Parts: sequence; C-alpha cells; structure tokens
Amino acid sequence: MFNYTKPWALGLALCLAAGAAIAQEDTIGFIKTVKGNATVVSGEQSVPAVPGAALKKGQVLKTGRDASIGVMLKDNTMLSTGAHTELAVDDYQYAPGQERLGLVIRLAKGSLHYISGVIAKLRPESVSIKTPTSLIGVRGTEFVVSVDGDPS
Amino acid sequence: MNRLVSHRFGHWLRSAALCLTLAGCASSYVVLLPNADGTVGKVQVTSANGTNLLERPFQGALTSANAGQTFETTRERIQTDFADALAASPRKPVRFVLYFEAGGATLTPESQQELAKVVDEIATRKVPDISITGHTDTEGDANANLQLGLERAHQVRTLLASPQLTAENVAIESHGEKNLLVPTADNVAEPRNRRVEITVR
Repeated sequence: MFNYTKPWALGLALCLAAGAAIAQEDTIGFIKTVKGNATVVSGEQSVPAVPGAALKKGQVLKTGRDASIGVMLKDNTMLSTGAHTELAVDDYQYAPGQERLGLVIRLAKGSLHYISGVIAKLRPESVSIKTPTSLIGVRGTEFVVSVDGDPS
Repeated sequence: MNRLVSHRFGHWLRSAALCLTLAGCASSYVVLLPNADGTVGKVQVTSANGTNLLERPFQGALTSANAGQTFETTRERIQTDFADALAASPRKPVRFVLYFEAGGATLTPESQQELAKVVDEIATRKVPDISITGHTDTEGDANANLQLGLERAHQVRTLLASPQLTAENVAIESHGEKNLLVPTADNVAEPRNRRVEITVR
C-alpha cells in the first residue's frame, strides 16, 4: 500500500500509475478466440493469432480457410470474423474522462459480426466501419457484414 | 414510381433475392441483428450510390445499394451464412461493483463477500482481461479523492489473487469524485459513490 503522507511516496505512486497507463496505452483490446489459421500482421511482420494476445491499433487480423477470430476491445466492443477475412481497427480512442471517443474499423474482405460497446453508446457518430464500397454508421447495435473478396 | 424505375427495381430485387438464397454467391452486404436484450438499434449504410438506414431486425442492404434498396432476410439464413463469425464471438463482459467504508480502502463486509464472485468469474474465462476503476464520494479534496480512488482500485487488484491476472491484462485507473453513481453536491458523504467498478472480459 502506498503511503500518501510522505510527498516522495505520493510522487512515486503517481509515476507508477502513469507508467502503467503508458505501458497499456497502445493496447486497444485482446484476442479472445482463435480457430484455424489466423494471423496478426503489423507492417511487414506476421505472427500467428493466439487467444490472450494484446491487440494494437492498425494491426491487421487475417483468417484463412475454415478459420475465425474473436476480439474484445477495451470499451466492450466485440468483433468476430469468419474465414478469408481481413480486418483492422484503424482508429481507437477510449478516454471518456477526456471526452476522447472514436472507433474506425476497416473490413477489406470476409465477414464480421459486430456488437457495440461503450464508445457507440456514448458517442455513436464517432463509430464507423469501412468496407471497399461503403461506410457503415452505427446507432448502438449489433449487425453482420459480408464483403466479397473481389468487390465489383 | 414510374414504369422503368419499377422494372429496374424489380430486376434488382430478384437478383438480390437470388443472390441471398444461393450458397456461395458472392456479394457484399450488411444485415441488422436484434440485440441480445431484444431491442433493435439502427445501422446506416452509405455507398457511392446512396444511403440506406436499416432499422428492422434482419433487414439488410448491399454495400453498393442505391437509396431505398433494402431487403429482408431471416435469422436462419444469417446463422448459416455467418456461422463461423457468430461462433467466434467472445463471451460477454460481466460487471461488478464493490463498495468501501468511508475515507479509506477497506471494503464493506458485503463487498468482501462479493469478491469471491469476481474471482470465480475470472476463473471461468480462458484468457480474461479486467479493468478496475476506483471512485469516491465528494467528501474532501478532489485531488486527494483521485488518489483515494486509485488506492481502492489497487487494493481490489491485490485482493483478486488470481494466477491468470498479469500486468498486461489488468487496467487500473481512478475517476476520483468525477464519476458519481449517485449525483451529490460537493463534500457529501455517500456510501454508494465509494466504490470500485470491475469489468471482467
């Protein structure tokens, strides 16, 4: 337990709290379920997706044949995909205290099941899902999206 | 609606219906689902050709649709076409609220009992992550309360002796007196505001 009666201890506690916040700042959620051949792509690097792994903004989730992946973001938004899918969270702002809220998801191909979290509840207009041919706006809800691999 | 438009719309409707009933038919579309609690939200789909608002359960639109071109599908159809994605959905989060004695980080006797339920919920999950957010009532200085909220959150983290929890999957923060469960004036002791909220995901 921190001792707040000593000024230096308070300073240390604040530093520790800030440090913890920084360490987790770029984690936007966690992979919860994985089936089959699924990978997480960060730039040039590609690693197998595993349950429990932290997800960062901009990482691309890819699933192969008969594969799927389920993700829970920190605001309780739930995203799950089917096979042959390419999905990324391009923008994520979740700091209700500082009034920073936003969620932009990109579905390049495949299928997505989306369930709204706190961001969509607090500021629905800040949530959008981009597909190659459309922009989907969310009004606090649950839906599915399918994107053909070769959109015409 | 004039005859030409009506004809074209009819043609579109037939091809969309055909597309949605043939397995493996390539198409890009959005379908609104009812929420788990039975309510139904809204989804707006905007393409280069127009905007469609989906507001009925199992109402859908192609992502290239013109305005006014939506279709209806069924729960059975969605359960087949999105079987993998639906099955991959994570378990829903569960939220707990623990309460504290005035001015410190000591749980009330009731909340000490409740703690076991949180531990149980964490144990049922293969890869849990949790957030612990500390709160205070408005008695005392706002900065001191920000610290007290943090102290309460850390105390809960210490009490949740679960081997599955790590520095990475636990997020601890304090809202101090800025996020009251029961709105009060400043300097009001309110037991329901002296709390820690835990979300187990």
